[in-house]
Amino acid sequence: MKTIEVLREPSLPSVLIGALASSTKRPGVVKKLPPVTLVRPEVVLDGAHIARYNALCGFTPAQGVLLYPQLLTFPLVMAYVGSAECPWPALGTVHLANRIEQTRSLKAGDAVRVELQTGTVQAHEKGQVFTLDLRILQDNEQVWSATQTLLRVGVPSPSGKPFVSSVTADAPLSHQADFSAPADIGRRYGTVSGDRNPIHLSAPTARLFGFRRAIAHGMWTHARALACVLPQRPLEQASVAVDFKTPLFLPALASLWTHRTSHGALFEVRDAKGQKPHLRAQLSY
Amino acid sequence: MNTIRRVAILGGNRIPFARSNTVYSKATNQEMLTATLQGLVDRFNLHGERLGDVAAGAVMKHSRDFNLVRECVLSTTLSPETPAFDLQQACGTGLEAAMLVANKIALGHIECGIAGGVDTTSDAPIALNEKMRKILLDASRAKTTAQRLTALSRLRPAMLVQPALPRNGEPRTGFSMGEHAELMAQEWGVTREAQDELALKSHQNLAKAYDNGFFTDLMTPFQGVTKDNNLRADLTIEKLRSLKPVFDKKVAPNQGTLTAGNSTPLTDGSSAVLLASEEWAAARNLPVLAYLTFSEVAAVDFFDKKEGLLMAPAYAVPRMLARAGLTLQDFDYYEIHEAFAAQVLCTLDAWQDKEFCKDKLGLAKPLGKIDMKKLNVNGSSLAAGHPFAATGGRIVATLAKMLAQKGAGRGLISICAAGGQGVVAIIER
Repeated sequence: MKTIEVLREPSLPSVLIGALASSTKRPGVVKKLPPVTLVRPEVVLDGAHIARYNALCGFTPAQGVLLYPQLLTFPLVMAYVGSAECPWPALGTVHLANRIEQTRSLKAGDAVRVELQTGTVQAHEKGQVFTLDLRILQDNEQVWSATQTLLRVGVPSPSGKPFVSSVTADAPLSHQADFSAPADIGRRYGTVSGDRNPIHLSAPTARLFGFRRAIAHGMWTHARALACVLPQRPLEQASVAVDFKTPLFLPALASLWTHRTSHGALFEVRDAKGQKPHLRAQLSY
Repeated sequence: MNTIRRVAILGGNRIPFARSNTVYSKATNQEMLTATLQGLVDRFNLHGERLGDVAAGAVMKHSRDFNLVRECVLSTTLSPETPAFDLQQACGTGLEAAMLVANKIALGHIECGIAGGVDTTSDAPIALNEKMRKILLDASRAKTTAQRLTALSRLRPAMLVQPALPRNGEPRTGFSMGEHAELMAQEWGVTREAQDELALKSHQNLAKAYDNGFFTDLMTPFQGVTKDNNLRADLTIEKLRSLKPVFDKKVAPNQGTLTAGNSTPLTDGSSAVLLASEEWAAARNLPVLAYLTFSEVAAVDFFDKKEGLLMAPAYAVPRMLARAGLTLQDFDYYEIHEAFAAQVLCTLDAWQDKEFCKDKLGLAKPLGKIDMKKLNVNGSSLAAGHPFAATGGRIVATLAKMLAQKGAGRGLISICAAGGQGVVAIIER
């Protein structure tokens, strides 16, 4: 397996150029992903950055950091999709699903090693699914992991086993809360997360890629909803899986629908009328 | 001295309950209670009768209504020589009134009486702005015109549009009743789903009771209304699930479980029950529906000990059961007032909770479960609405009729009240 160390966070122009340059890729049938590991050998969790992220998503300090560590993997994801090791272009690849598992809670000041490993290819009715396995290690011990599931829309006869959702629970959901997704949330989340995909930034930039308006980052919508669902106490062990269903066009009023149990919750973000789902997720702790 | 006598419940009457600021928005407490009493008088042909006593009350009351019940009695065809008095124990008012009248009958002080309650949150007693009130009092105390003008010169136009409004909250905690109930739901882990199911059941049961004509001889139409207008016969669980929590902002942000669907709305209405000795009933050929046999009140320390504000019935019932020598399962019907679905569910959970029953109630073992099929079988406050002081009379009359229909049996009444109080009773036949 090839291992690439990513020592610096890539600059914005290099990310954009890499993403655009990757658009020239024209792969044929991809049977499996080339085995690659990308590593950020030492990253220290920045308290000020966590605070900015929490403020944007609605988390309180008491809720710990369950989703935040995924931001640390973003430079690796961008480095991978911009590299020759990724068969497909960065633009036009959709975040289809995400699953996070935390086995030990992290906090500001912790020094960690961040890894990305290529995963599997899976078949989906809309195209080719592929996964990236993300890991965070503290003192050589894995404390956090995630599977980022991406969809390359429109790939005919996709390879691999059929995609199976990790959101397995089913229960009737009740209207829990409403929240607004302001017009500038894509720009603000883009600044904090580093994900400045033009489809999130403004209506004109989104229109270039076929969206009528800017759409919220799926991981922001996911975080905003999770902030309402996570208990107000730190959890050592927790997992959360999400399926992204439809884009949330900005600005928007969204509704949160939940079913809580003593150690978890099933939840959906829907449109204001509570009819169209934007995402469906499952939290366990 | 007389021995203690059995207290017979002969019947009841109420006007249909109406959500606040709807059909009864212009009706006063006095109009509603008078209509209710007159309906009862008509049904039992009490015209010109001098009753032993009439006890009733209102939670939301104008200062001019200091003698509300006596004024209402004077407006009916009862003998004007019928005495009456007002009392107030928040949502326990109606049942407490029944207990007081029953006790007088039991001791032989009176032969018959009416107990009831009325409330309006539409025709609410808005008070003057507090500063303005003080200025007007100063002006009235003034001895000279100059002093009076000095006092009145402190009046400001803004005071007219900033009146003192009554609020549905606990003075000591600053939380509303709903916020307290949400705190209880969070403490007991009562789910949103369970609350919605209870609310749906309440509407279905009340709708069925109307379909069966259950309320025909328990109700007098008022201002053209013949049915509780909060009742949603076509309510669905999906509709209840679509409502957003409303009391969570201060006490459990985004984790709320209480909605407008599983909480009672502010309601206008009134109710009354006719109680008597068996001799008085027999002399008038009036059949006895059931007997009011036991009662108990309790209060909890919701401030220092942080007990749930509406948990007092959980304490009152076991004390009453011990006196009556009964277990919680010895009942054919349970009428647990649905102030909030969460209140009912927390109470039922508490009675099954080993620790609560041991540490808080001092019981060797939990009271246990009840058969949910026996709970609020003709609907309760979630569907009918809850005009604070009128709920007790509604429940006593409803339960007495259910026992009369069954022929024999026993029913438990549990009502929670503001200030951390609980009023409970047993009705038997």
